[in-house]
Amino acid sequence: MRALAVGYEPILSSGHAACPGCIEALTVRHVAAALGTNTVAVVPPSCMAIIAGPQPFSSFKIPVYQPSLEASAAAATGLRRALDAQEKRDTLVAVFAGDGGTYDIGFQCLSSAAERNEDFIYFCFDNEGYMNTGAQKSSATPHFAKTGSTPAGKASKKKNLTEIMAAHGVPYVATACAGYLADLIRKGEKATRIRGTRIITLLVPCLDGWGLADDCGLEAARFAVESGVFPLYEVEEGCRYTLNEAGKTRPVRDYLSLQRRYRHATPEEIDALQAEVDAGWARLLERVAASRESGLTPSAK
Amino acid sequence: MRNAPPDRMLLTGNHAVAWAARLARPKVLPVYPITPQTPILEKLSEFEAKGELDAEVITPESEHSVMAASIAASLAGARVFTATASQGLLLMHELLHYASGARAPIVVANVNRTVASPWGFWPDETDSLAQRDAGWIQFYCESAQDCLDTVIAAFRIAESVLVPAMVNLDAFYVSHALEPVSVPGQELVDAFLPPYSPPHRIDPQNPESWGNVVSQEMYCRHRRDLGEAMARVFEVALETEREWSRLTGRSSPIIERYRCEGARTVIVAMGSLCGTARDAVDALREGAEAVGLLKVRLFRPLPVEALRAALAGVAEILVLDRNYSPGYGGVLHQELRGALYGIADPPKIHGRLAGVGGVNVSAERIAELVREAAAGEARRESVWVEG
Amino acid sequence: MSVGAPIPTAWTTGTTEVLKTGTWRAALPRYVSAPSPCHLACPVAGESAEWIGRVRERDFRGAWEILVRNNPFPATAGRICHRPCEGACNRSGFDSSLAIRALERHVGDRAIAEGWRFPPPPSERAEPVAVVGGGPSGLSAAYHMRRRGYRVALFERERELGGLMRYGIPAYRLPRAVLDAEIDRILALGIDLRLGAAIDRPEDLARLRAEFGAVYLAVGAGRQKRLQTLDYEKPWAIDGAAWLRRANAGRPPALGPRLAVVGGGSAAIDVARGARRFGHEVTLIALEREGEMLAQRSEIEEAIEEGVRLQDGAMIERVTERGAKSLALECVRVDFIAGAERGSFRVERIAGSEFRIAADAVVSAIGQDPDLGAIEGALSTRRALIETGEAQTTSAPDLYAGGDAASMERFVTAAIGMGRRAALAIDASFAAARRERGAASERPVPLAAIATFYYPKGERPCERRLGVEERLRGEAEVEFGILPEEAPREAERCFSCGTCIFCDNCFLYCPDLAVRRIPSGYEVLGDYCKGCGICVKECPTGSMEMAEELR
Repeated sequence: MRALAVGYEPILSSGHAACPGCIEALTVRHVAAALGTNTVAVVPPSCMAIIAGPQPFSSFKIPVYQPSLEASAAAATGLRRALDAQEKRDTLVAVFAGDGGTYDIGFQCLSSAAERNEDFIYFCFDNEGYMNTGAQKSSATPHFAKTGSTPAGKASKKKNLTEIMAAHGVPYVATACAGYLADLIRKGEKATRIRGTRIITLLVPCLDGWGLADDCGLEAARFAVESGVFPLYEVEEGCRYTLNEAGKTRPVRDYLSLQRRYRHATPEEIDALQAEVDAGWARLLERVAASRESGLTPSAK
Repeated sequence: MRNAPPDRMLLTGNHAVAWAARLARPKVLPVYPITPQTPILEKLSEFEAKGELDAEVITPESEHSVMAASIAASLAGARVFTATASQGLLLMHELLHYASGARAPIVVANVNRTVASPWGFWPDETDSLAQRDAGWIQFYCESAQDCLDTVIAAFRIAESVLVPAMVNLDAFYVSHALEPVSVPGQELVDAFLPPYSPPHRIDPQNPESWGNVVSQEMYCRHRRDLGEAMARVFEVALETEREWSRLTGRSSPIIERYRCEGARTVIVAMGSLCGTARDAVDALREGAEAVGLLKVRLFRPLPVEALRAALAGVAEILVLDRNYSPGYGGVLHQELRGALYGIADPPKIHGRLAGVGGVNVSAERIAELVREAAAGEARRESVWVEG
Repeated sequence: MSVGAPIPTAWTTGTTEVLKTGTWRAALPRYVSAPSPCHLACPVAGESAEWIGRVRERDFRGAWEILVRNNPFPATAGRICHRPCEGACNRSGFDSSLAIRALERHVGDRAIAEGWRFPPPPSERAEPVAVVGGGPSGLSAAYHMRRRGYRVALFERERELGGLMRYGIPAYRLPRAVLDAEIDRILALGIDLRLGAAIDRPEDLARLRAEFGAVYLAVGAGRQKRLQTLDYEKPWAIDGAAWLRRANAGRPPALGPRLAVVGGGSAAIDVARGARRFGHEVTLIALEREGEMLAQRSEIEEAIEEGVRLQDGAMIERVTERGAKSLALECVRVDFIAGAERGSFRVERIAGSEFRIAADAVVSAIGQDPDLGAIEGALSTRRALIETGEAQTTSAPDLYAGGDAASMERFVTAAIGMGRRAALAIDASFAAARRERGAASERPVPLAAIATFYYPKGERPCERRLGVEERLRGEAEVEFGILPEEAPREAERCFSCGTCIFCDNCFLYCPDLAVRRIPSGYEVLGDYCKGCGICVKECPTGSMEMAEELR
């Protein structure tokens, strides 16, 4: 076991109102720190907006602007351009949005910003549902998961945001999670060295929404990676694929069994999910192989 | 700046708006096309492309994102301008509240156009009047010159009180009508409107966050503060008008009294109707009828005291509304009734829904309406005027 | 331009640090220094997690200094220890137990190669202490007393020190150069050595007690147990200890080519393997089945590799002489049933399973008892052993006893550990009493307390041995040490159970930034900790636990 050397200045403060054991708070702690203090952040309504603190207190030691739920990428654009107009081009603009604010209501404006290749880093804290309103379905909710608006389990699959954003041809799209902290921090830091629209989807197991014990969030995130449910990978310029955790070492069942939201799942549904994950994994491997064969493999991992 | 404008130019209302925006030197310009506003964005984009305007032009996918970007850019300390119309303004609706709540002094030009459905392109002020509770300053312009003067003044007023401002101009009648416009020089405008530099802004050097969740007490206080800022608009507008008048010789008061001396009947209107109403007043005065016009240029905040003073002692008031609030009537009519409530010797207030949906209202028709009103009783509800 | 009055409802003016979220919790994490299973299993109180941590950092000198805090014989123990630590290792529940003994040998061999010496005692004490017996336990006691500054006199009946390590264990398992180096290093601390001085009689002991403030008796177990079925007057019957003593000196007794060795412990294996080296055909007859034999697994494997024929679960019932030299050993299969106490057992013969072995001589190595002539009347005994308490105390306050004379736990490292405990007890009897950590009541860190995510799976380095042919040629050491580059890599696998390695996980994984780095490690900020337990769950060494809070 090697210690992870993290030397940066903390940006998240104690005293925030995240649930005990919240992986979103843990994740943003490291994401924000990787960005550094010369950063402004956009936080739409979400758990993150609660974590950000009650007026007049902020849990972030960088300025945060809270726009409406559907407008994060546009707000980030406005900040970016206003900073550019004031010759503050070195100041980073980041978005810390939830999956509802990204996959669903904020998707139109995110797509537009990505098409314009606006210069900001967009972090989607994907807890696979509207957790701040008590766990309802979003288009990031996976197949068969039970939520307040899908009490019998969701009938449709999860939207693949990473692939959609990669298809915009932006310079950097990646997935990460706090369970693989070194990888998360590396991607955050890597993103700061790129210009243009960068989108990182962060899997954030929600203790309450998924039905996990207080200390189980990281384990769930790791099981998601190990089972191939949430592969850790990067796509550069829309075509260069890199897989960061190469092994799919665990059946999906292991991952599901940690969570209350799948407790009702039938063996057939579990098999179906396994098949979906296998197919997605195979497709990802093909893309990784294709970019390697065509000499597109990125230089730095 | 290159290509200094000639003193007088033949401009449409839209291009007068574009010139005014250019002279105000906005730093961020998010734009989205919609008829009949599109010439404003095209002109501004052209200025920027030619290097005559140093601004960040953003082309998002919707007016909603335009306004979202505008608010954030304004809070980051940039002067922001944009333009829209009708459905575009309605799509912005949610964010209009965000803007005023965030105290972002954005200036928006709105070309008043019918709201769907059914689909139409005609002058009608329902789009902007539906935003009257959004916490924005609202101006209504009669002409291209009025547009130019008002847009420049709106920046100064909005930035003084940290409340966003909307400058409205009627579709086609103003937006597309060509007329000679006196365009001030850049130096004059720079002297009138210094660069925007708010003491609080989104800035990593001084990390303050904006929009965090508040308590009931804070929310209440915040709304009251917004009201107090609105209340300061009258005084700031007066001071702004004086300065503009000193620099240009043109005066644009928040309400304009036209030939109201000794008037028995006063027509009250906003926007393009005022131009026609002036002709009607002239014609009636020629017939020795004591009729005047009160042009309401500032609708929000509603200048209640100024209206009461201007209309004291008048016997009949004819309110012309090119808008309609179903279940309520003409918005100006009803608001004026409220504004004058309790006045001594109250005038009879006749509300007419004239020109809704862009229906043409001629000077002659207005003169008829004046006579009809004087002959009849004032009704609480607004009365439809056939085209 | 004038700007509106300040609007404190629109922008923030401070951080959430004013909000003390610590009031939410029901339990607070705390740091614990818990014993590792290997430490608790180690007879010498190994502090394994600490010294292995130093190996991981390639600080071999630091590792050795920690090792010799408890055990002056790391190179010796690193070869012959029965390694209970590895049996207890949490890693065995994850992939395979850590090669702790191999690491210890590596460190011990480095110390010899580099000539590392013990520092002189920090202060000299007046109280004189006597140690009787220069085997592992006596040497260990002398070492620990000397490092604490006591004047130590060491009495040994033989001409050389080492006891069982020299006269019992063969050189192919423990090269004499290694043993000598580790003993010399102890002597260099300044020990009053009395070789050839037997303390056999009560008056010898009485003289010592008069001269010394405390006496540690580690006289070993020199009296061989004997089989009733053998006539030891015959030239073909001999005690294992006697055989080994002569074989280790290079002069084995002249016996016929076919040797039967009786016994299931290390001594029997040593005789059997030694006899193979002197050209005998060897049959080993043990009461226990192969899996139950007291000898270490690797010793049995190596013996079989070397051509020792094993007859396990069997005993000799009768010996018949056939002609001048040849013997017929009448044997029978037995069920071996271990008793509750170590060393006690019974056997049930299996009728009809009789068989016969032809041999020229029989060597029995079935255990030894101490010779307790010196203590007669002075101390109480139990089952042929000196009766001792936990700290090696005896029924006399100034006498302490350990090693094979006081225990049936016949392992070298157990004897070393008893010497250490006695030294600590003697020291405590002179100075203020001190309690050491890792008391038996402490529970070892379980595997469940280790965040195994942080450890990639790996296998322990394979144990390499000399080829059989070369082994049988002489005294060459059979087992090789691990390669220098393997040592830190193997140490990487150590879970460091119960010992904080300052990895920062508790600090880094706190969603509430409620863990702070301080010079001595970490501190949980009670003002903010919400009690989620992530820090405990992510601790890769099991060095944290949640403690319920009553408010």
